[in-house]
Amino acid sequence: MSERRMKINICHLYPDLLDLYGDRGNILALAARCRWRGLEAAVERTSLGDALDFRSMDILFIGGGSDREQGLLVEDLMKRREELKAAIADGLVVLAICGGYQLLGEYYQTSNGEKIPGLGILDVWTVAGDKRLIGNVAVELKPRNPVNVSDLQTLQTLVGFENHSGKTYLGKDVLPLGRILAGHGNNGEDGTEGVRWHNIFGTYLHGPLLPKNPHLADLLLELACERRGYFLPLPGLDDQLEILAHRTILERLVGTK
Amino acid sequence: MSEKKDVHKHIIDQNLAAEDHAGSKSRRSRRSWRFWPALWIGKLAVLVLRLLGKKGTTFPGVVANRIDPDIIGHLGQGYPDGIVIVTGTNGKTTTANLLAKVLKTAGFKFAFNQAGANLVSGIAGALLEQARWSGSSRARLALLEVDEATVPKVCRQLAPKAAIITNFFRDQLDRYGELDTTIRMVQEALPKETLLIINADDPLVAQFGLNHHMVMYYGVERTPESRTESQETREARFCPVCGATLSYSLFHYGQLGVYHCPECDFARPQAQVLAENVHMEDGDIRFRVGVTSYSLSLEGYYNLYNALAALAVARVLGVNEREIERGLREFEAQAGRMERFNLSQGRVTLTLVKNPTGFNQVLRTVLGSDRDICLMIAINDLAADGRDISWLWDVDFELLGAEEHRIRRIVCSGLRAQDMALRLKYAGVKLEKLMLEPSLEQAMMLLQQERHAEDTVFALPTYTALFPLRELLVKQSRDAAGGAERQTLEASA
Repeated sequence: MSERRMKINICHLYPDLLDLYGDRGNILALAARCRWRGLEAAVERTSLGDALDFRSMDILFIGGGSDREQGLLVEDLMKRREELKAAIADGLVVLAICGGYQLLGEYYQTSNGEKIPGLGILDVWTVAGDKRLIGNVAVELKPRNPVNVSDLQTLQTLVGFENHSGKTYLGKDVLPLGRILAGHGNNGEDGTEGVRWHNIFGTYLHGPLLPKNPHLADLLLELACERRGYFLPLPGLDDQLEILAHRTILERLVGTK
Repeated sequence: MSEKKDVHKHIIDQNLAAEDHAGSKSRRSRRSWRFWPALWIGKLAVLVLRLLGKKGTTFPGVVANRIDPDIIGHLGQGYPDGIVIVTGTNGKTTTANLLAKVLKTAGFKFAFNQAGANLVSGIAGALLEQARWSGSSRARLALLEVDEATVPKVCRQLAPKAAIITNFFRDQLDRYGELDTTIRMVQEALPKETLLIINADDPLVAQFGLNHHMVMYYGVERTPESRTESQETREARFCPVCGATLSYSLFHYGQLGVYHCPECDFARPQAQVLAENVHMEDGDIRFRVGVTSYSLSLEGYYNLYNALAALAVARVLGVNEREIERGLREFEAQAGRMERFNLSQGRVTLTLVKNPTGFNQVLRTVLGSDRDICLMIAINDLAADGRDISWLWDVDFELLGAEEHRIRRIVCSGLRAQDMALRLKYAGVKLEKLMLEPSLEQAMMLLQQERHAEDTVFALPTYTALFPLRELLVKQSRDAAGGAERQTLEASA
């Protein structure tokens, strides 16, 4: 190890608690797409109570869990809130899905009106809904949306599968990831899905999200590389199968264009 | 006893509340006037359909249930020896069929909802089949496979004599919400007078015994596939009583194994029916319970649990060991569960895949021999399959990636063929070994063309792809060598 190899540190937060709906596929996708480019990907699976050093991380992944398990970890994360905030201000790339997305927000309001505080990092809040929003989702990344479209190669959409009862609303300080073409999205009301703020990407899309949305996977990797000062842009990969899987479900949901 | 009470207090409180709720006036209720038209019209529908030669429809049950919403409870009163239900995520159908085979061997006559008709209408239909015009029943006993989400509806109407709970895994979450919800729902519904016959090795199931009076546990000492470490995605890492991380001295598969809680006294219970000396011999599973040795002509050690559950209930019902042994030994795989077809190009094994744990078990069986491997995987995402296919990413396909050199070909088919292929790509299977063919028939043809005679060949469909695929295989095996020596069931006749 004379020459320092380029390395991306990926932290999978609480995989033993937040491990629903194939979300580990996101980690598999990030790691594989590093490997295929000769970048080293170090994946750390962090459990409740383990030491966490946000400064050494490049990409932080927070998935969704069942309600009971989610309660356990808000408590644990609260203690590290300030460090996490500092890392985010410094450009840490975060992908937060479903429950993970909700807990970065201001609060979660239960069906009996109780407000469970979140980490208060994102200007979003969630209200318990009375029906589950379940199904395939297609999202159009709007031209003026915060994901830089020039990074997105040929795909202008995100596809995934949502399964949540919480309805999330965005505050004035943040913009959605995109506009719903099919499915419910953040709350089933305003046609928005997900959020981007700094390098935090919050979304309800499982599926898992990144394997079928390689453009988003690469955007996360590019942002992480940029922060580390590695060369850019990333070398292209053969994404035919990824794009085919993306387009197949997209066409089923919104028809051919 | 009193110690335990303290530890489990809140669970007990919850359960008492549930019992109050579940034991409400509607159960054991008298037959209302609605019962008679429901019975007669339902029976008439059964007769007419039988005359028309139509089988396996849930129509009579649907009609009877529409007229009398308590029809299951009202018909259930006609069974003096009681009702046995089978529920849980995996193995319901196999367990019920194994038990049915043992009971038939022992000469029992019983109502039975065959072929997985495990929702309210299917159950009502099975009971109608045995009902006399007078409302009494021709059988003394009913054996009912019950979908997890239907357990509350059934138990609101009748108190089962015994309930088998096989296991809990993530399955079609999009239909039921999360696993915790399902478990709580079943737990709250089961009445206290029901004898629970439950899997000691699954902590999610074993917790049902914590505050239930009548419990019988079954379990496995170890199998040749048991390991001291597990890399599988699994449920139930945490103690259901105190929330601490469970310690395992042995994993059988998934979260099933020998576990205990390091923080409290929750541990894998002593199993009254414990399988020992478990091994494969001549393609059959062999094991011993007490002094009796058993043989089961099924593949996959998960089927051992199904046999143990059937064995436990058969004992409770007074079947003697000799008949239990014979019933299990003579049982043959049902349609699409490790079912073997001999085609002109060689053998194909067909088996349903529907969730990560089941699929992992199948992959281990596929990799069990040292032959080259040809697979056809057909993934649909219709309602009966589960609309959400993300579970494919919780399956340990990396097992295949690690044995890449033995893979000759994997044909991906079904409505989500592309997603399946993508999953395999990220599991380390080279692209040139993958084929995409959404049509089942074409995919089957490709599989036959690509395979070598001596390869291990499996066709792995989700639910809605299973039956069309099976029809194809039945036809092809009939054509092959004039259909000689086919090792499948009478069901294809």
